Amino acid sequence: MERMIPVDKLARPEDHILLPANRTRNARSEQGLSPGNAMPYEDDFLKSRMHGICGGEFQAMEAAGRTLYDFPDAPWEFQLDMARQVWDESRHAEIYMKLLEYVGSYYGEFPEGEVLWSCTQAEDPAARVAGINRGLEGLACDVFEQLIRIAQKMGDSVIERSVDYVLADEITHVRMGSQWMRKLTEGDPARFKRAQEFQDRIDELFNFGPGRKRVEDVDHVKQRIDGKEIEIDNGLTIAREARLLAGFTEEEIDRLVKGFGKSAAY
Amino acid sequence: MPDLGERGNVMGPQPIAPVVEPPAEMFAAAERLLNALMRGDNATVEAMTPAHVRDEMMQIANAIPANKYDRFELIGRARVAHHYFLKAKLSGSTGEPFKFQFRLGPKDGEWTVREALDLSGRRSAWSR
Repeated sequence: MERMIPVDKLARPEDHILLPANRTRNARSEQGLSPGNAMPYEDDFLKSRMHGICGGEFQAMEAAGRTLYDFPDAPWEFQLDMARQVWDESRHAEIYMKLLEYVGSYYGEFPEGEVLWSCTQAEDPAARVAGINRGLEGLACDVFEQLIRIAQKMGDSVIERSVDYVLADEITHVRMGSQWMRKLTEGDPARFKRAQEFQDRIDELFNFGPGRKRVEDVDHVKQRIDGKEIEIDNGLTIAREARLLAGFTEEEIDRLVKGFGKSAAY
Repeated sequence: MPDLGERGNVMGPQPIAPVVEPPAEMFAAAERLLNALMRGDNATVEAMTPAHVRDEMMQIANAIPANKYDRFELIGRARVAHHYFLKAKLSGSTGEPFKFQFRLGPKDGEWTVREALDLSGRRSAWSR
């Protein structure tokens, strides 16, 4: 049975544009933009951010489904959790497709990236859940909490409540990942260490250089959204409260803020 | 994208911003490029291609026999700020269609090719 399927094997309609990250970076650099994601000062920030999340939800759905399929000998409860996560992510994808329409966009307006799928490339289910559930879903907590605060500043309860609804699920996914990472590696510290290292690499990848900032420390930038000028964060922040709810420790959160990318499982 | 219904006819939240429509000049440039490729007009293709992309674009031009294809379709489109990635399919009365992907961007009022990728044997630009 083939595990770790390459990204171009994911089923996508022919009319979608699927790009490796370097092609998107080149296109942005040539226009004088920062090479990573759309920044808060760009007109397309909200559309682009939601588009990236929507693609992430699709790939998270596929990743959980793939984990369920790839490890038929894993405990039944593990498989049930993965199946539940597939269902959660599919609802999230639907929610974000509707949010895209709400902000004047649609799925496919921007290219779909591959970077999230690259984080699923682990042979061991313990590493998979460490990377996807703790690394990526932890990142989702940060991104969603920031989006909720932006929506609050906009006075937009549609975005605020929709994203809050999704965030509640992500918190359970992180907890699920922590539980299975620990359980699957019980009595095997070397396996635990390998899973932890896989997650570290993902945390590092998404630290975006200087690391995530505390909400109270981040700089702000003015942006005009929905006819209102609001001040929004000029970088990625860390969702301390959501991460604590998800079971991350203060020490793990501190490490992510410092940009070490280490997030030792509790 | 599935049809989510005519928003103007339903109650509930309405879109807070309009969809960005691609500029007509971009479509005109794509049409000019594709027509030139189909008729084997390399001079026009070269004129639309800056030096740093010329090799990859001319490889594609050389892979397309002149006048083999007589119609094109833009089957995919996605934008990154003001640049557009386009996926095109060239078809003729015989043989397999030819698919490739390219990026158009504006500079000094002209839309030029910024990158190009032959999709033959690939499902997407993801395959490397």
